[in-house]
This record gives sequence, structure tokens and C-alpha cells, in this order.
Amino acid sequence: MEHMRAKLIVAALVLIGAVAYLAVAGAKKGWVYYLDVDQYLQQKSYQTQRVRLCGRVAVDDLHVERQAFRASFVLLGPTQRIGVDYKGVVPDLFTSDADVVLEGKLGNDGRFKADVLMTKCASKYQAEEHAKRLEDPQ
Amino acid sequence: MTASLGDMALTASVLIAAGAFLAAISAGRFDSDRWMKLSRTLVVLFAIIVTLACAVLIDLLLKSDFRTTYVAGYTERALPWPYKLAAFWAGQEGSLLLWTWLIAIMSAVAVFQQRKNRLAQSAGTTATLAGVSLFFAALMLYAANPFAQSAQTPPDGHGLNPLLQDPAMIAHPPMLFVGYAGFTVPFAILVGALVARRKDTAYLLPLRKWVLVSWLFLSIGIVLGAQWAYIELGWGGYWAWDPVENASLLPWLTATALLHSIIVQQQRNTFKGWNAALIACTFLLCIFGTYLTRSGVIQSVHAFPESLVGKFFLAFLIVCVVASVVILFVRRDMLVGENKIESLLSKEGLFLATNALLVLMTAVTLVGTIFPLISGPFAHEPVSVGPPFYNHVVVPMAMILLAMMATGPLLVFGPGAAGKLGRMAVVPGLVALIALAVAIVLGLHDAWSLACVAIVTFAVCSIFVDLGRVVINKWRLEGPGLIGHVIMTLDANHRRYGGQLVHVGMLMVMVGIAGSSLFGQTHQLSLTPGQPVKVGRYEITLSKLEEIREGHFTAVQASVMLQPPSGDPIAMRPQVRFYDKSEQSNTEVALRWTLREDVYLTLAGWDANGTSAGIQAMVNPLVSWIWIGAGVLTLGALFGLLPRMFPEPRAAAGIALPITAPGNALPKCTSQ
Repeated sequence: MEHMRAKLIVAALVLIGAVAYLAVAGAKKGWVYYLDVDQYLQQKSYQTQRVRLCGRVAVDDLHVERQAFRASFVLLGPTQRIGVDYKGVVPDLFTSDADVVLEGKLGNDGRFKADVLMTKCASKYQAEEHAKRLEDPQ
Repeated sequence: MTASLGDMALTASVLIAAGAFLAAISAGRFDSDRWMKLSRTLVVLFAIIVTLACAVLIDLLLKSDFRTTYVAGYTERALPWPYKLAAFWAGQEGSLLLWTWLIAIMSAVAVFQQRKNRLAQSAGTTATLAGVSLFFAALMLYAANPFAQSAQTPPDGHGLNPLLQDPAMIAHPPMLFVGYAGFTVPFAILVGALVARRKDTAYLLPLRKWVLVSWLFLSIGIVLGAQWAYIELGWGGYWAWDPVENASLLPWLTATALLHSIIVQQQRNTFKGWNAALIACTFLLCIFGTYLTRSGVIQSVHAFPESLVGKFFLAFLIVCVVASVVILFVRRDMLVGENKIESLLSKEGLFLATNALLVLMTAVTLVGTIFPLISGPFAHEPVSVGPPFYNHVVVPMAMILLAMMATGPLLVFGPGAAGKLGRMAVVPGLVALIALAVAIVLGLHDAWSLACVAIVTFAVCSIFVDLGRVVINKWRLEGPGLIGHVIMTLDANHRRYGGQLVHVGMLMVMVGIAGSSLFGQTHQLSLTPGQPVKVGRYEITLSKLEEIREGHFTAVQASVMLQPPSGDPIAMRPQVRFYDKSEQSNTEVALRWTLREDVYLTLAGWDANGTSAGIQAMVNPLVSWIWIGAGVLTLGALFGLLPRMFPEPRAAAGIALPITAPGNALPKCTSQ
């Protein structure tokens, strides 16, 4: 019985070790900083790697060419802003003033090159805003 | 019916649930049948009163009572009535009411089902169910009241989010909630058994049925959610490892582990503590997932706005975790198994390994999901680990799980399983090798997909080998008659063969996932009318771009001809819709599915004068096998739940028993 217990413990340790190894390797591969524009521009080290950037799309300077699969716009952080070129299908909910999440890297021209663009949405789209509009029609 | 009636029903429900809870505690404390009866009656009354609240909300939704904020927020006059009904669970308040209602109904059923148990056991079960009911009732009343009124009545409602106007989306949330609510019952049954110090395994039979039913609904819910994402969101995928998706996967994984390990406890009276922990974890993960997605602590693409609901769930989660730990600790003497595992290479050893893998998958998914919260010590800013993390960690684990699933039918309980495995694996092994060779000759070289081919072939074969063995035995003993023997064999052990069918479904799902994620193609095309473009084996041509009007939306529609390698061209019409009540546009994907691959077209945009269109064309191999597999899985689970249909012929049973089941106490489980 003791023999069996030892076997079980060894098997468990091997399994956990293997998974931990996989997890660390996977985390290194999938490691993405989730930043706003200000944080991104502050740290030079972020600008050499692939990051996830969130912010609001500025109302001015917005060029969307859906049929050519590209959009360029300015992303706003709490105080700073950055130019963005996105390549891919432009989502339906993408408009000026939308909250978006981007993934990509800084290009040589100083603009952020994104290949993932997600709009924050769905269940959030909602009642609250509607209620606000009811209270304050303007 | 008016909103104030709904409000009153909610208030009453809080009092009734509190009453039921206190009565159940008193019943246990004073060993009183009277209190027990009162508690049971109150649980039933709770179900009735919550049903009334639901009826009120349905009535308000159908008659478009826009005074009620919830109705105005999620419906409009022009909305077709089935969608008005579905708006019941389109928002936070309504979906919580649905969950509460499901808990109420299931509690009433469970309390009735468990009424013959010892008093202490019933009291423990009922108190748990009433406690959970009390939390949900209070949550509705204080943090998410669907009957809240606005100061003035708006002329029309806000309308239902166009993304939610889809049949899969109508069915997805209720299925998920049946699963979530259902996992409360096994937890309550466990608490009852622990409180009453039950040492036998009788309580496990209804417990496993509740787990199986809840697991089935949760599975259907997850698949419908994936299908909705695939059809409605337009990015061509069905799973993105988003926190909201992970939240539903976590309890599914632990429940899957549980379904296997309960069998071992039933057969060998071991794994007791492990199972108890899994039952508690499954329940707690449902609450935890809801807290995660409704509190705004994790950035998700589709998280709910921050609200009091999150704080309620956090408080409830803490209470439940503490209560679970305390009760498992106090009753730790009951959780020691009576038998030890004798061999790792046996059915119980395999079940243990399956469990270990599933629990590790749960842990990895959990860590990945909450990574932004726990990455503090390693980084200054929040870090998230995207799909590459899961693909590198969970996918290899799933592959090993698949391989274990393949050997499952060939192993028996107890020692000596290894030798039998060697003999029985010959045929499936050979067939798998042949399949592997064929796949390589046909040009498949990717290591993952080759592993998948070999494992799936082996798995399907071993199921047939196992079934064949029993049928041949029967043939020898009872004379010829193939179909009759097959039916009798299947009918004699619903759990076993239902489980096998679930495995076949799971294999199909894995084939679909592997095929579409390894071999999918995406093309971004600028099309001008009349100019054909090659996409994989297909040729697509834009014939025209037009504006159409339908129901409560206007749409820009591209008419595209898809020419398959052989046969007639097929007309496809991807659209971008503009719903009257929505400020945003909404893409409507055009999909042509076959068993081999899906062609998936999204209209991304067009130029102002309508002379060219941007279309994203995707070829997604084998995706339909995911949906077919989910169907097979459902059938398997249903078969597993059915009782035996044909009685066992007596004479035959008398002969068969000693041969196929030496020393097994349960004749029904002969072939285990």
C-alpha cells in the first residue's frame, strides 16, 4: 500500500511538473501587457513589444475604409494620444468615441500598427445609456 | 398585472426563503419533523412566488410597459414577440431573475425527491437550498430589481441589441443558467449527507443524476454560445478564451471530472474527499464565474457594467467558500475512502488520471483568466495572457485526455486490468496505424492532426471492440441474433453506453476544433462585380451590391456567387444591417456549410458608388462536426439518464452472470 502511495505521489508530481512547465512556456508566449495610452508612451520598453492597448477613439482624424480592410485613427488615453493604423475587418461597433482594445506593435513611423481591434460592447450596450438619454435628452 | 405586484412578490420571496432557511436549521437542531415539513412547504411556496414574479415580468415585456426601466431598456414596440420574451434574459436583472427561478424550481423538486431521507440529512439539504435561494432573492430585491420604475414613461423602448436577435442567443443563456442553477442541488445533497454522517453511497445516485443533467445543459449552453459567436459576431471563430467564456468552462471541467470520479466512489467506495471537494468546487466556480463577469474586475470584451451585483456575489462567494471549507473540515473523518487504489493501470487509475488532468485544466484556465489580477508581483501594469497561452497549455492536455478517453472502454476495475488491456488494444491499435498511414499518404503532415487521427480512430474502434466483446459473449450463450443482442447489451447498461456515446460526441467536437484551428484560411478580398476571385478550392464572384429593407432594419447586401470545384454555383448574401433602434451597423454573415468545410463570408465594407465591396472570405474545415458532436453528446447523456427499457430475460441472466461478472456485486455493471 505504501508502495502504491509513493507511485501516486510520483505520478502526481510528474504531471504537475509537466503542466507547470507548459504553463510557464505558454505564459511567455501569450504574455501581453494591457495598457492605456499614457502608460504605453511612458515606458520605452513597452514600445518594442506586442501589447494590448485600450482607449477611446478620437472624434477628429478618423479614416475608415471598410472595403479596403483598414482604418486609421487617434487613440486617446487619460492625457495623451497616439496615432493608430489598423489592418483587418473593421468591426460594426467601431465609430468615433468608441471604447476599443487594440493589439499590435509600434511601427517605424511612430504610429501604432494594430492587427486586432475589438470594441467593448454587447452586454454593456445598454439600458444605462438609454436611461441617461431619457433623463437628459440633449 | 403591474410592476408593483412583481415588487411585492420579490419582497415576499425574501421573507419566505429566510423562513425556509430558519425552519430547516431548526428542524435539524431540535430534530423536529414539524419544522422540516414547514421548511419544505416554504421552499415550494418560494418556487410559486418566484414563478409569479416571472409571470409579471413576462406580462410587462409582452405588453411593452415602458414605465418599467427593464422593459424600456431591452425591448421596443416593433420587436417581434418571441424576442420580447427573450428580452427576459437579455439584461442583468432579468437574467438573474431567470437564475433565481430555476433555483427555486429545482429546490422544490430536490426537496420533494429527498423527503424520505433521515431528518438531519433532509434538513442539511433543505437549509443549503434555502440559503442559496435567500441570497438570490435578496440580490434581486436590493441590487438588481427588474421591476424598477422610471419617473416618466418613454414613448418607445430602446430595443434589443441586434447581436442578441438570433435563435442561438435566445436559447444560450437559459441553458447555461439551468446548468449553473442545477449544480446547487448536488452541493446541497452533499451537505445533507455530510451533516447526517451518511457512510453509504446511496445518496450518490440522485446526486450524479443532478450533476449529469446540469452538465448536459451547461454543455449545450456553451456550444450554443460558441455557435452564436460564430454566426453572429462575424470574425469566423467560435471560442476566444474570453473571461466570460472561461467562466462557463470552469464548472464544466470540474463537473466532467466529477461525473467520472463519482462512478469510482459508487463502485469502490473510494475518492470520497476528492468527490466532495469537486462537488463544492463546481458550485463555487459557478458563483465565482458570475462574480468575475458581473463585477467588472476583469477586462472582458463583453463584461457587464460595474454594479452592486458584483459586490453581492463577492460576499456570497466568500460565505460559500468558508461554509464549504468548514463543513468539509468538520466532517473530514467521513471523507476517507474505504478502499485504496490498487493499480494505476486500471479503470480507477485511469479515472484518477482523467480527474487530475481535468482539474489541472481548470486550474490553468482559472489562472489564465485572472492573470491580470494576480500578475501584480511580476509586472507594473496588468498583464493578460491571450489565446496563445491556452493553446499552448490546454490543447496538449486535451490531447492526452483524448488518448485516455480512447483507452477507457478497454480497461476494467481492479487489478489485472493491464493484461486485458494489452490483448484488447490489438485491433484498435492496428486500425489506428492504418488510419495514420492513410492520412500521411493523403498528405497530412502536421503532428497535431496526425495525433488526432490516430487517437480518434483508436477511440472509436475500442468502443466497438468493447461492445462487440459483450455481444459475442451473448451470442455464444444465448444463440444467434445480432440486433437483439446489441439492443439488450446497450439497454443493460445505460450509464456505460450513454457515456461511450458522449465520448463519441466529444471526439467529433475535438475533430472539428482541430480541423478549423489548424487548417482555417482567411482571405480579405476587394471584389468588383463580374470579376471572379479564387478562394481555396472555390471561386467567388460579386454579382451586385444593393440596399434592401426588411422588417425593422435596412441592409446593404452583396450578392455573391460561390462556385465549388464541382456542381452548380451557390448564391450567398452577406449583409450589413442597420436596425432602426440601433446606432451601430451589424454584419450578417453568409455561411455555406458542408461536412467537409464551411465557407464564411463577411461584408466588411463598400465604396460610396457601389462599384466594389470588401469581403472577408474564410474557409473553415470541419466546423460542422462541432455542432454534430454536441448533438451526439446530448443524445449520449440523455441515453445515460433513461431507465432500463426491456427487462432482463431471467434464464439468460442466470447463465450470463457468473461468466461476465466474476465477483462483482452489481450484476448491472457486469462489463465495467
